[in-house]
Amino acid sequence: MNPLLPFLMAGDPSLEALPGLLSAAKALGLEAVELGLPHSDPIADGPVLQAAAHRAIQRGATPLRVLQSLAGITDSPDVVLFTYLNPLLQLGAAELKRLLAPTPVRALLVVDLPFGEEPAFEAELRAAGYPMVPLLAPTTTLDRARQLLAERPDPGEEAPFAQRFAYVVARLGVTGTGQGLDLKPVAARVADLLSLTSRPLAVGFGLSDPRSLTAVRRLGATPVIGSALVQELAKGLGLREALAARLVDDL
Amino acid sequence: MTLGFTLPDRFGSQALGGCYAPETLVQPLLDLEAAFRSALMDPAYMAELKAELRHFVGRPTPLTPAPRLAAQLGLKALFLKREDLTHTGAHKINNALAQALLARRMGKHEIIAETGAGQHGVATAAACARLGLSCTVYMGVTDMARQAPNVARMRLFGAKVEPVEAGQGTLKEAVNEALRAWAARCDRAHYILGSALGPHPFPTLVRTFQTVIGEEARAQILEQAGGLPEVVIACAGGGSNGLGLLVPFLGDRLQRIAVEAGGHGPDLGEHAARLDGGRMGVLHGCKTLLLQDDHGHTAETASISAGLDYPALGPELAALILDGKVEVRRASDEEALSGARLLCQAEGILPALESSHALALLPTLAAEGAATVLLGLSGRGDKDLSTYQSRSGL
Repeated sequence: MNPLLPFLMAGDPSLEALPGLLSAAKALGLEAVELGLPHSDPIADGPVLQAAAHRAIQRGATPLRVLQSLAGITDSPDVVLFTYLNPLLQLGAAELKRLLAPTPVRALLVVDLPFGEEPAFEAELRAAGYPMVPLLAPTTTLDRARQLLAERPDPGEEAPFAQRFAYVVARLGVTGTGQGLDLKPVAARVADLLSLTSRPLAVGFGLSDPRSLTAVRRLGATPVIGSALVQELAKGLGLREALAARLVDDL
Repeated sequence: MTLGFTLPDRFGSQALGGCYAPETLVQPLLDLEAAFRSALMDPAYMAELKAELRHFVGRPTPLTPAPRLAAQLGLKALFLKREDLTHTGAHKINNALAQALLARRMGKHEIIAETGAGQHGVATAAACARLGLSCTVYMGVTDMARQAPNVARMRLFGAKVEPVEAGQGTLKEAVNEALRAWAARCDRAHYILGSALGPHPFPTLVRTFQTVIGEEARAQILEQAGGLPEVVIACAGGGSNGLGLLVPFLGDRLQRIAVEAGGHGPDLGEHAARLDGGRMGVLHGCKTLLLQDDHGHTAETASISAGLDYPALGPELAALILDGKVEVRRASDEEALSGARLLCQAEGILPALESSHALALLPTLAAEGAATVLLGLSGRGDKDLSTYQSRSGL
């Protein structure tokens, strides 16, 4: 099982730091990282990732520059591009595919694109090897979860984690550390979802300490660490140091 | 397979609208659509809404002839649909009250709202006080400063006003924050969106609760003028007022005009005229005409009027415009101030800065040969007194 899915904000602390962070993630044995494309209106993000996106945009981390800076990088785990829809729509599917081709991006997690709202766009990207990650929220009924997992299907066991996993949103609200995530409903949720699917699950939103990361792993899922990591990286720490600082003691 | 909504969620030949919401909000939006449909078919809900609109809001609002202003401009007749005379002073209360009743019916006693000019916030705060619901309103810090009287009103009604510091501190940021707050509390809170935008079903819900404006106005002008006007005109920020007035006239042979905020210049960032430089994009859960930069980031906007200072046009109104059913014009900050001065001096009515953008077009309409004009006076200008005083010495 992939032990951790770290989230990095492209352009924060800088685009120049990105290859080093990706290389460090690979050296840690991680199968994938989520890479946030900074957006002007990140409606699903809490204060930490909002601020990181804002800093990145101020430093010129446009979608184009982010994707160009990923071109040719091979010393990296698979990248899951975490983004809002509008910048992708403005690029258009053809240009997006062209930009993604030389990068380690293997899947897209588009926060504000429910399945079915841009069917042609989504189908074209999936056919080119960029499937959309299914998101399962606490408000998602099991019936709807079953439907979502079928609409954004598991490509099969030979496919990498980045293209197979479903993202389980651990709590209501936006990304961020929050105070003491209640893990009991998360455990019940993961158990329910594991009864529906054999694909890997990642659990994110509100995980910010070693205890909750370990607890998620015990459930058989990969913990996502986002805001807490971005906060440490913004101080200029390397990935290993940032993770060790407060997050992970058992990688 | 689509999301499973029942009502049409796309508008016009370019399929604007839709439901571009984070997964957490999809089920709450499905539940909201179901509650909305069932409320519309429930005689008890409709009766209560009608009674509240009459006895609390003060509907029907008058259709006031403005003969001195008409004569001054060379129009045969001018009629003003007086949403400024509703309780809380703008059309926003029609939707706020209807949604508050809907929230109570859904068993949700916490209300979240965003506001730009503060009129939707005040209306929501008043409706919540009236119905015994708790209310939190998100408002950009720039707007809080320029619409300070409305901040005080909301607080008097018991609402919590949450300042939003991000970005320009205007309506766009307030909507961002309200959407985030709703995602965190959607199990117990209802989000009363104030404009005809956002993810489905909000645009349809808001338009449905606002068309009372045009339905009344159409009946009133037929009775008072003995026929339909040549022109119906309203200002448009997100589009709740524009759609509310114009939709009931869609089947008529007349000119329907929505007026956008021309701000203080033609360049991106200097105005909120989505038809000038806006491109198709997705913001706040819907696909529509959006002012944005080359990277798909939302552009900054500018308008003297907080209620029109928003980068996206509601999807249904955008579709009506793109499909040629509604015409769009723009009025600059200065023209809006002139429009307000005209009405104040000729008729003794102080319009909101938003409504003044429609008033600003009257001389042009007269020059184009319009005879009878029906204008949506969406709100009153008390909230804008300090701007009027500092900008034009009114």
